[in-house]
Amino acid sequence: MAIGRRVVIVGIASHWGAELARRLERDPAVDYLAGVDTVPPPIELQRTDLIEADIRGPVLSRLLPGTNADTVVHCGILWYPEPDKPARILHDVNVIGTLQLLAACQRTETLERVVVRGSAAIYGCEGPSPSFFTEQMAGRLPLRTRFQRDISELEGYFENFARRHPHLVCCMLRYQPEIGPDLDMPLVRYLSLPVVPTQLGFDPRLQLLHADDATGALEAATRNPVCGAVNVAPSGSISLSHLLRLARRPSLPIPHPLFGPALERLGRQLGAGPVYGDGVRLLRFGRGVDNQRLRTEIGYEPRFDAVAAVRDFAAKSRGRRVGPSLHPGDLVGRLARVGG
Amino acid sequence: MSAEPQTDAPKAPNAEVLADFLRRMRLGIEDGLDPKSAAQRAALDLPKSLRDAVERLSQRLRGEYDEDEWGFDEQFAEAVYPLFEFLYDTWWRVEADGVRHVPAHGRALLVANHAGSLFPFDASMILGAIMKEHPLPRWARFLVLDWAFVLPFLSTFMRRVGGVPASPHNATRLLQQDELVMAFPEGAKGTGKQFSERYRLQRFGRGGFVEVALRAGAPIIPVAVVGAEEIYPKLADAKPLARAIGAPFVPITPTFPWLGPLGLIPLPSRWRIEFCEPIELSRYGPDAADDQRLLFDVSEQVRETIQEKLYENLVKRGSTFL
Repeated sequence: MAIGRRVVIVGIASHWGAELARRLERDPAVDYLAGVDTVPPPIELQRTDLIEADIRGPVLSRLLPGTNADTVVHCGILWYPEPDKPARILHDVNVIGTLQLLAACQRTETLERVVVRGSAAIYGCEGPSPSFFTEQMAGRLPLRTRFQRDISELEGYFENFARRHPHLVCCMLRYQPEIGPDLDMPLVRYLSLPVVPTQLGFDPRLQLLHADDATGALEAATRNPVCGAVNVAPSGSISLSHLLRLARRPSLPIPHPLFGPALERLGRQLGAGPVYGDGVRLLRFGRGVDNQRLRTEIGYEPRFDAVAAVRDFAAKSRGRRVGPSLHPGDLVGRLARVGG
Repeated sequence: MSAEPQTDAPKAPNAEVLADFLRRMRLGIEDGLDPKSAAQRAALDLPKSLRDAVERLSQRLRGEYDEDEWGFDEQFAEAVYPLFEFLYDTWWRVEADGVRHVPAHGRALLVANHAGSLFPFDASMILGAIMKEHPLPRWARFLVLDWAFVLPFLSTFMRRVGGVPASPHNATRLLQQDELVMAFPEGAKGTGKQFSERYRLQRFGRGGFVEVALRAGAPIIPVAVVGAEEIYPKLADAKPLARAIGAPFVPITPTFPWLGPLGLIPLPSRWRIEFCEPIELSRYGPDAADDQRLLFDVSEQVRETIQEKLYENLVKRGSTFL
């Protein structure tokens, strides 16, 4: 695109907001870059203006028009509680915050594009669901966790907003959970446990997005947004048992009626709080989405497919383990090498 | 995708080999080696087949195997195949006709009648017929009643051997990937019918399977299965229990639940499977999928073909169990 762009990233203190800012800073075509959040970003940024504001309040409506932004990227949707954002305010941050942001967008006359980093949790997690959801299939299955309902609610507001402002390009990105050795997230912490509890008899199909692809897709969507929802996921899928074998994590199957309370307890220790995301159900039934729209319309081809993302994660996080591997694959492998 | 039979199947490690290994290890320790080196030396004398088996197991445990995007695990399917082979050859003595109608490659939709109240084994036996009788065997995928995917173990097993939740999206996507897909349009109405209703085809849904075939440009191959009705004759339905656990039905058979787990053993009826002439739909084009009348016409044609072949094969089979 030839025109210089003025980009405002809401939720710059989140990992994804900060990473996006870092990538956009390197691009001379971006004239102006600003970030909104209540706390400073985790990494050092060169030329990003930091605007301290809480998106739950109306203050953004006064600040945003002044930036003359043409692109707003919303990275402020939270999957899990954070140290300064306990579980009880997540609904406010996610739903009310998005509403306030949209109100601010409405007053920004220079605006052309709005990109929201949402979640594939809107599809729900059920056993008998289609193996690959396409974008039209939202809202067909019951939503069972607070997070799923919050995502569904804010997507409803976003759709309304898009309908009332047909001249704007409104793009909703539906992310599958991310994976990466450097990510500090409950799911990654769960997969890094020395012994990973699983649900007896269930082996969910998962799509875990490589952290590089998660940022790459966000950047691609910021540069070339399309109208409507877009699934962001790796190609293919991987089952949890296969994943744990590749990552050399022994698993501990627990009958699933007991798993809820056990995981809730574990989840609090891992930082997921009283399971707000779709964790337990995701780890029972899994979820697959179709990423064709991302590849053809936004034009971003994920570098890692579902298996490659896990292999990369396993290769890079291996050094973290303390002591010898107790995984049966390694034990038998040692025996086989001895025998061979 | 074809299954290559494992030629050098490893023999089970028997007690003799193990004793031999331990004896050599003891000798090593007596020679003053530490346990690790002793084990190393003893392992060198193990038979090659055993070492290969350990190597394969190790690869499996280290995750060095492939699952496709649907969760189909060919290695796993090959491992459980002998069980189905036993059921096919010995237990149900299946005879299959017309397997040549199944294309060796490319997409096709197999449409069959559905029966066998407790566990509908018909999908696995159709699969067995293709694997055993077809000159170029290939794995087929099958659409599984939704409820099975809520259950532990069963859901995982089904997925690994090629089952996918019954959804038109899944069927269309699979066909577009040039897979062989099995569908049972009767669904739970077919498996849940009383024994007295056997071999009477139920309603074929709303013709959704024809819509899928039209959209994907796949031929429909009607398949008639005789024998599955008698494996668990459903005499009554425990409706309150079914409601309580959310199942479509809970059958009461002459053996289940009276004999406990033994009641899960299917009766050894004789089976016949006939694959009929493919019905080519490519001339209609994908837009015809919106033509409800055409859907009903083709659906009815398939249903009549299967019903006719069912009666024919019932006569050919003769005695039910002997």
